[in-house]
Amino acid sequence: MKKNLSINNNLMKSHIRFSISILLVASLLLFSSCKKFLNVESPNDVANDNMFTDGASLLSARIGLYNTLQNAAYYGGYFPLMIDAYSDNGTAGGYDSPQLNQFNDKALGADNIFISNFWVAAYNTIYTANQIIAHVDGINDPALSDEVRTDVKGEAYCIRALAHFDLLRTFGEHWDLSSKYGIPVVQTVASPSDIFPRNTVLETYDAIFADLNEALTLVSNDDVEYGSGTKTTGFVTNYFVRGLMARVYLYMKDYSNAAAMATDVINSQAFSLVSDPSVIYTTKLSSESIFELQFNVQDQSEYNNLSYVRDDALRVDVSFLANENLDLFFQQRPADTRASLVNFDPEINDPSIQPDGRTQKYRGEDTKDNSAYIMRIAELYLIRAEARGAMGDFNGCAEDLQTIADLRGGYGIPEIDMLNFESVVQDERRAELNFEGHRYFDLARIGQVADVVGENVLPVFPIPVNEISATGGALEQYPGY
Amino acid sequence: MQRRPIHLLLLLLLILGNSPNLFAQNLKLTGVIRDPKGEPLIGATVRWKEDPSYGTQTDEDGRFELEVPATSGTLVYSYVGYNNHEDPFSATHANLDAILTEQSELEEVIVVGYGTQKKSDITGAISSLKGDDIRGLPNPNLGTSITGKATGIHVVTPSGTPGAGLLISVRGSENPLYVVDGIPMISESNSGLSTSYDTQGNTTGNGQNVSSIADLNPDDIASIEILKDASSASIYGARAANGVVLITTKRGAAGKTSFNFNYYTGMQQRSKKINFMSADEFVALVEDARAQDLKKYEEDPTYFGEDFNPDILTNPLPDSWNTNVNVDWEDEVMQNAPVNNVQLSASGGTEKNRFYISTSYFDQQGIVINSYYKRFNNRMNFDQQVNDKLSFGENVSFTYSKNRRSFNDDTYTGIVTNALGCSPLMPPYNDDGTYADYTLYQAAWLSDNPILSANEVIAYSNSYRGLGTVWADYKILDDLSFRTSWSADFTYFTDDQYWSPLTTDAIELGGKATNGSFKQLNWLGENTLTYDKSWNKVHHLNLLGGFTLQRNQSNRLYVTGQGFPIGSGLQNVSSSAVLTSRLADGTGWALVSFLGRANYDFKGKYLASFSMRADGSSRFGPENQYGYFPAGSVGWRITQESFFPESKVFTDLKLRLSYGLTGDQEIGDFQYVSFWSPITYTGIAGLSPRNIADPNLRWQSNAKLNAGIDYELWNGIVYGSLEYYHEEKYDLLSEDAIPGTTGFATITRNAGRVLNSGWEFNINATPIRAAVTWDIGFNISYLHNEVLELTSDSILLYAYNDLAPSHILAVGQPQGSYWGVKYLGVDPETGDPMYEDLNGDGVVDDNDATIIGKALPDYYGGITTNLHWKNWNLNVATSFSLGNDVYNMIRGEYLSLGYSPEGWDAENVLYQVYSNNPEYANDRWMNPGDQTDIPRASLINSNNYQNSTQNLENGSFLRLSNIGLSYDLKLKSKQYIRACQFYLQVQNLYTFTSYSGYDPEVSSTGGVDINTTGVDYAAYPKARTFLLGVNLSF
Repeated sequence: MKKNLSINNNLMKSHIRFSISILLVASLLLFSSCKKFLNVESPNDVANDNMFTDGASLLSARIGLYNTLQNAAYYGGYFPLMIDAYSDNGTAGGYDSPQLNQFNDKALGADNIFISNFWVAAYNTIYTANQIIAHVDGINDPALSDEVRTDVKGEAYCIRALAHFDLLRTFGEHWDLSSKYGIPVVQTVASPSDIFPRNTVLETYDAIFADLNEALTLVSNDDVEYGSGTKTTGFVTNYFVRGLMARVYLYMKDYSNAAAMATDVINSQAFSLVSDPSVIYTTKLSSESIFELQFNVQDQSEYNNLSYVRDDALRVDVSFLANENLDLFFQQRPADTRASLVNFDPEINDPSIQPDGRTQKYRGEDTKDNSAYIMRIAELYLIRAEARGAMGDFNGCAEDLQTIADLRGGYGIPEIDMLNFESVVQDERRAELNFEGHRYFDLARIGQVADVVGENVLPVFPIPVNEISATGGALEQYPGY
Repeated sequence: MQRRPIHLLLLLLLILGNSPNLFAQNLKLTGVIRDPKGEPLIGATVRWKEDPSYGTQTDEDGRFELEVPATSGTLVYSYVGYNNHEDPFSATHANLDAILTEQSELEEVIVVGYGTQKKSDITGAISSLKGDDIRGLPNPNLGTSITGKATGIHVVTPSGTPGAGLLISVRGSENPLYVVDGIPMISESNSGLSTSYDTQGNTTGNGQNVSSIADLNPDDIASIEILKDASSASIYGARAANGVVLITTKRGAAGKTSFNFNYYTGMQQRSKKINFMSADEFVALVEDARAQDLKKYEEDPTYFGEDFNPDILTNPLPDSWNTNVNVDWEDEVMQNAPVNNVQLSASGGTEKNRFYISTSYFDQQGIVINSYYKRFNNRMNFDQQVNDKLSFGENVSFTYSKNRRSFNDDTYTGIVTNALGCSPLMPPYNDDGTYADYTLYQAAWLSDNPILSANEVIAYSNSYRGLGTVWADYKILDDLSFRTSWSADFTYFTDDQYWSPLTTDAIELGGKATNGSFKQLNWLGENTLTYDKSWNKVHHLNLLGGFTLQRNQSNRLYVTGQGFPIGSGLQNVSSSAVLTSRLADGTGWALVSFLGRANYDFKGKYLASFSMRADGSSRFGPENQYGYFPAGSVGWRITQESFFPESKVFTDLKLRLSYGLTGDQEIGDFQYVSFWSPITYTGIAGLSPRNIADPNLRWQSNAKLNAGIDYELWNGIVYGSLEYYHEEKYDLLSEDAIPGTTGFATITRNAGRVLNSGWEFNINATPIRAAVTWDIGFNISYLHNEVLELTSDSILLYAYNDLAPSHILAVGQPQGSYWGVKYLGVDPETGDPMYEDLNGDGVVDDNDATIIGKALPDYYGGITTNLHWKNWNLNVATSFSLGNDVYNMIRGEYLSLGYSPEGWDAENVLYQVYSNNPEYANDRWMNPGDQTDIPRASLINSNNYQNSTQNLENGSFLRLSNIGLSYDLKLKSKQYIRACQFYLQVQNLYTFTSYSGYDPEVSSTGGVDINTTGVDYAAYPKARTFLLGVNLSF
């Protein structure tokens, strides 16, 4: 019996040895394959490290850059509409929501989610442009032609300038070159820990012009062949670069340059005013569009959702409404055909919406593919008119305004002089550009926000409260918020 | 060599000696085994101690018969939950009757991670539920069987929606890991349908979720163990930060095949009605609002502004306000609904192979019209003992469920949402049978006719799920065994939703539909080696080592189309004119783990345990892939000490202490990489940056300290435990706000610390153990939750929409703290509401908001009691929660007090106010001097500030959650039917609470996120259920 036991013991030992060696070999094998086992890759997305490795990924990033402009908070809908809602053109309906009521009550707070979303969206565009600018020259791919490389780079500079400018006119004292209330300028690919305080207004303009000047030399019009055909005005062209420069010069009150740039584009003959203004909003890329951000039924924008919804919609269903004040404005202009682009008719609008109304620029309840009209030729006539008038050329001013008026009902522009110049120009801008994201900025430029919108209304939006807390207060809030 | 023949002879003799048939000295032993009450124990094991291969089991009368090849010896009787009993026998003492005494609670063996342990040896904090706790109760799901029964476990049923998910938190941490028969089970909501849309059809949140843990049939569950501290849970390392719920399903026992049939049927009714005003009361309220405003105007004509036209206050209401229609919308959308469940199971087998199979069908109709949940379950558990060394087995289950979705909870467009506050003057249908057009009636709040929403938004979710495990156990040596198990959890889930062209959402689109599917395969291989050895009954050592691999892969496919052929009745996306969105993507993760554990006890007196798990996860970058989670614990059974006085009172007393780390990887896949996602512009495909990633992303950890005392008095007449815990979660995986100048609002990174600490106490007693047996149990848990560290001082959160923050995450405050303005009551002179103007700027707005309450309770627990007398058994279960608030945001919509958002036309004729009001609005202020909490009615002023304490209510409650009465029919003959039980049950009978909404236990955001929990935004009301059932064994 004793012997049996020792056999058992030996057996046990060999068993243990055997098991342990099996386990060791198995673990070793497993350990070496663990690394592979844990290497799970996403089938949905492309890692940042794999971007900008060839020409094709640069083209993908270019489309991505335009896509960032499509963000709902930016040119996908909210940005232009809230700019009008915070003026005498618009107001807010919708849900009795505190956020929309801030627009309705003309009392914006730093906690407003739409403003906070816009802030992030515009910087997301800048981030994407920075990525392209940082990598475009380093791509080593013979399949990437120099024309395309140059053009994409130029587009990125232009769009970066556009986003910085949109931020400046929303959050900065854009009318005052000596002001310290500019916006943070970001020209590198930011890391999560980077903190950017405000630049001065002058520094911001300098950065914008540096980018626009780069773009001016790099961007083509329609002569660069992309895989999908030549460029349309759905993309940034050299005309748009010059148009944007005209707009920025106007804001800076550099009127001669503003007029010169506008003239440049107008004289190119590439764009023309349409005889029926509704055509602009019912066709894609009308002859007026200099840069029109496009959408389609599978890539919808928010304009219709926010400003029209459906025929019998209640006030609570519509986020942004046309202000009663705009109705009164058009009642003074009986011949103006653009009156039909706003609707205050009690037969069409639910009584809950009255006496306010709804813009008709963004119809198409089934497709919801309304474009963002980032720049139209009409605006350049208006820029030149304003610049000429500001320089004392009232005839030139009236001439440009009449050019538009001829195609908008054929009414006559009154004689312009020192006294009425500003109001006539601003009225024409209001009639033409309402609900395209200009009015509040225009009122700020001429120092009329408090007079027109409300005595406690500030001409600058608040920096989002999230941003101030995330930067540890490095970003200075605009006084009054 | 010469001795070999003798060896052979001896061997032969041995073989012959072991064969009972060859020798005549067999003895036939018979007897009956009973419990202390004299009830026969069915299926008790009887073995011959000298040679355990001789054994049998008792029949339905507790009777056994066993022949042994000996004339004397000892029999051993054993039965689960009872102490073993030994009985010597001889030729003259062959008729043996025995009574087995019930095991002390401490001798029970309970399931722990990767093994089992005697309760007396456990040094961690584990809540165990088995037997009567969960048996036989007709519960619709797992969570309701736990509610109020275990310390430290807080179960919230956030919505009454049939098949809706549950919120289970262990010591303040939500979403524990579920492990079913050793297999971590995927418990997320698989549905891609959102229940929360704004009126433009945009998704605003996920609302109530569809829990995939509901796929488990509660009737199949044998026991539930909840691992709460580090010592017990960290063996699950990476995913144990929020605790682990171990679920063990039923298995077969050797013996005659037994069949069980269980059927119940019942009726559900809403457990509460809010009671809205009748048409007359509603009109009177509006008239009062106008009269009150007129009085203000007459006192001060500029009170409502310079341009105010008082005609709106005096013009007679148009005819639409006097139509003799009076609809109770709560009644229109709710109904009494049946619930049925039928289950048939069989179990049995031999010593060598045992099985348990079951099939069941559960059908619950919703108390809100057009909603239901149906589930079909199948299970088979099989065990095979090949020989002394090798055994293997298999668990397989299949579940099919079909859910007719009802869109409520956190949505503007839901059925309940629209019914609350709907005008009583609005009929559901016009005279011609078409749906009434809600825009023509008096409540501006609606987004659709509730009946139309219920009938014309048609959505189904179907779930097909198979869970299977194959395992084998090999005893390498007596002390050493190897176990390998391979399992797969496969889910196929479909979502189909159709909005007819009659709905507001699709009226301009000609109908809209989404078809979607979701597939997920989760496989797991586990290999463990266990060494268990005792030396001289002094030292006992149990060692465990293991290696596991897990891989998860899922894919989604969703398409949405619009524009359907008019009148075709077609609802599939392929019939639509345009596809508006499509989604096809996949994701996956992998986990590699090494685990080890050593348990040691000295004479069962000093206990120690140490465990370690190393987890590698694909969710983290190569630098931080592995997380290491050690834990240690010690225990001391004082009553085993010689110095402890012999006492009849303290029969057991154990002190425990544990400390360790657990981890969490629940951040979604691929978060450590900055990605570019596919997008399009002008129909051209491209890539756009999706996120900015932190490559240093690493495991979130939870350091848990636990100290506990287990006590037992009078040999188990009273027993329970007291626990103290202190848990600090650090390196929290959070969506953290970063400067927007980076281009992104948030980043996923490790930031912040959260403290959960508290104590838990439970006591169970059997004060009467005679003809009448009375058990009573009480448990209470105290929780202190506090945010210790954040990257910024505070973060405002939005629970139900993005319009106004409802919650705040702030250092020094608990998670789920509410954010809002303080309501100071009603000015008794003017009837106007008063709010605290915190910043003193003269305007009350969101800038005056502050922390106003919290969603988490201070105390929660339950009392259960069981009374048994002869054939009768009465069981009562209650649960309670103290110190939590509910943010009743939907009340901000319906307690509108006659306010109208400019619902008058150009002639100043009023046609619309915001909403109908609850009847209790009749207690509002009406005359100077009135003392009330409800402000005066007003047409022009909104006298209810939604995000304020005006809508914050005390959410404490005591719920009579379950009352069950059963009767066991004593059958004379057990030939055909062995046992027959009838039972009657009432669930959710009554809730004692001051809460004005449907139910204080609510979380309209689905409650998955602890930080935004506790909001009531038109949650689906919970039902009160009456059930009648029968349970047959044969």
